[in-house]
This record gives sequence, C-alpha cells and structure tokens, in this order.
Amino acid sequence: MKKIFALIAVVLIAVMSCPSVFAAGLNASEQSVLSNMRTPANMKGNSVYVPSSYINQAEARFNTMDMTADQASRINGLINAGRAFLESTGKKSMKELTSAQLSTIMGYASQAAAVLDVKVPAGADTQNLKIINSAGEVIIDDDGNVIKATGAEAEFDFMPVMIAALTTLLVFCTAGVIVRKKALQYEKEQ
Amino acid sequence: MKKSNNNKLGIIFTPIIFCLVMCLALTAVVLPKYDKLSSLLGMFISDTQIDYSSAYENIFVPTKNSGDTVNAEDVDFPGLNKQFGKLSIEGADVDAKLFYGDGTVPLRNGVGIYGGSFIPGYGKTILVAGHNNTYFNGLKNVKKGDIIKIRTSYGNYEYKITDTAIHDSKNTSAYDLEADYENLILYTCYPFDGLGLTNLRFFVYAEKVKGPEIVGLYE
Repeated sequence: MKKIFALIAVVLIAVMSCPSVFAAGLNASEQSVLSNMRTPANMKGNSVYVPSSYINQAEARFNTMDMTADQASRINGLINAGRAFLESTGKKSMKELTSAQLSTIMGYASQAAAVLDVKVPAGADTQNLKIINSAGEVIIDDDGNVIKATGAEAEFDFMPVMIAALTTLLVFCTAGVIVRKKALQYEKEQ
Repeated sequence: MKKSNNNKLGIIFTPIIFCLVMCLALTAVVLPKYDKLSSLLGMFISDTQIDYSSAYENIFVPTKNSGDTVNAEDVDFPGLNKQFGKLSIEGADVDAKLFYGDGTVPLRNGVGIYGGSFIPGYGKTILVAGHNNTYFNGLKNVKKGDIIKIRTSYGNYEYKITDTAIHDSKNTSAYDLEADYENLILYTCYPFDGLGLTNLRFFVYAEKVKGPEIVGLYE
C-alpha cells in the first residue's frame, strides 16, 4: 500500500472521537465511514491511501460509540471533499503540497471535529495526531511511529547538560585568555 | 592605547569565537546520536524517578472465560492508557500489566498495545511493545512453541510462539496491520542488555490457540 495522505487521516480519525455513548460493534454508519476511508485519492495517477494504522484506530474507537446516519453523512462528505481537493491540486504526493493546501486539509479536520464535539489541538500535524474529547481526555495520540523506542530509557533531557558544559567551557576559555594576556603583559613589563 | 583596546576586545571575543566553533563541532558530532546519548546519560545522571502509578486507570477484572466466543457488547473496549489485562510467558520471566496504548505511561508500568492494532479476540493483528530493560527483558528467553498468556476482563487467551526475528524499527515488513487473522506480535529494543536507544527491535510472532472470539462486531 502506498503512503497515505495523513492530513485527511486527521479528519477521519476525528470521527472516532464522538461523545462516549458506549455501543459495541460497528453499525452501518460507522462501516460506511471506514469503507470510505479505505478509498484512495488519485493524485495524478498515484493512489494515495489512509494508513491502515489510522483506519484501525478509527475502527477501535467506533466500537465505543454510536455514530448516527447524519454524522456519517457529514463525515463522509468531508472525506469526499478532502479527497476531491487532493486530486485537484495536481500534485503527485502529500509532500508536494503547499502550506496553504495543507491548511485547507486541516480545515476539513476542524469541521469534522466540530461536528463531533472533539478537538484537534492547535499545533497538531500529520506526524503527531492528537484528538481530545469534550471532557479534555486524550482519545488518540499517535506520533506516526508504529514501532516505538523501547530501549533503556529515563526521563532525562540532554540539552541542559550540553548548555552547562558549554557555559563551563566559555568560562574556562575566558579565564585562560585573561591569564595568558596577563602573563604576556607581565613578561613585557619585565 | 589602541593596542590596549585590541587586547580587551581579544579577551572578550576570543573565548566566544572559540566556543561558537566548539558548539558547531559538537553539534555536528552529537546531533546524529542525540537520542542515544541522551538516553545513555540519563541512566547515569538522572536522579529523579517519576511515579506514573496513579496516572492510569485499571479496568482489568479477572474472568474465567476461556471459551469460544464473547459478545461485543460484553467487551469493555479500553480507552487510551488504560490497563485492561495482563500478559505473561511462563518460563521466560515475562509477567506484565497490559495497557491499551504504547506511550510513556503504559511502557513505564507494563506493556502496551499499539492503538493502530487490535485487542485480543478481535481476529486481527495485536502489536505489543515493552521496554527491553524492564517488562520485556525476558523475551530473550523465549523459544518457538512457548505459550503467551493474555488475561483480560472479557476472556483469557493463549498464543503459541511461531517465530522470532530481529528487524530495523523502520522495517514495515516486520508486521502486518491489515492481516485478517488473529496474530500476536511482541517487540522490544535489541540488544536486550544494550545501553541507550537502538534502531533494532526483537520481534516475537505468535498465533492464537485459545480464547474467545469477539462476535457481533458488525451489525
């Protein structure tokens, strides 16, 4: 499967964050949205798909809610509009899109979020998807990496150590230069 | 007088220029290895231990259901960062809380299912991450045929290990999130006792041998 258009995914994933009215299983509305998500955009002959990992997350969330036919219709409308917009850009891939075009796509995401009473936080992008429900609870948090860093880890920021080291270096250099100048001056005076 | 001013300027600017050059040199050398160095140094320098034990909700209530099916309406689909089960491998020293989500909180307290995969019983891929220096260090002891047990509130599952492999973390052929059959994949960083972060992952592949299938998913 070719790489997908991740911004559209934001729109799609926003769907999964409906107010939590628990209803297991996928009704016809939810299935129609999932099916629509699997339809690729044709960008100048290139089929661009939503990543399966995003579709799976949508499916998982759909199991915890009931989507109405009206909601599905509006969401599908946004998906179709996003797909049509992508195809109209004349670009071959997402990477070629301009900032303005990406903003348009994010507009679809915001509209979907508004319909479902959830938020796509400011600063969210295609590499770091985050969806927050009306209660402020993070429902989706995906940094775009399927496989995570699972090595020996610690809550530690290396940057302060770098800054401290460089500051120390600066102090020592200054002191060194001053001492050297003083020594040279002393030699001259002698 | 002019020479004295030059000397003063030299005292001020020489160390600064030297430091800037050093900064550039260090940046060029350190940046590509920043994550590894940060991780490695953190093990020795960091003296703070963050307590995440109260940062998650536990919805796991043990059940005896190991039958063939469970209704979707009887499954409490877990939310992000919630503990909803336990995962263990007898004889391999693996026994961990199982979370939905694989961010900081889950991996600090146990092992976590990637949100882009599925929960046990769903009939699709289950991708589980764990740290190599804690809950998944025991993966180094597993062998083909070993049984992985997963207990959840809606059913108890067993998976037989069919294979293990080492792949780069960016190798997408190491997993299949579109599989239409139930398969369990565990992974952790490799080598197991290495210091700092690494690009390699140790994967354990297993097939379902026992446990209730979730039915009624599609209305």
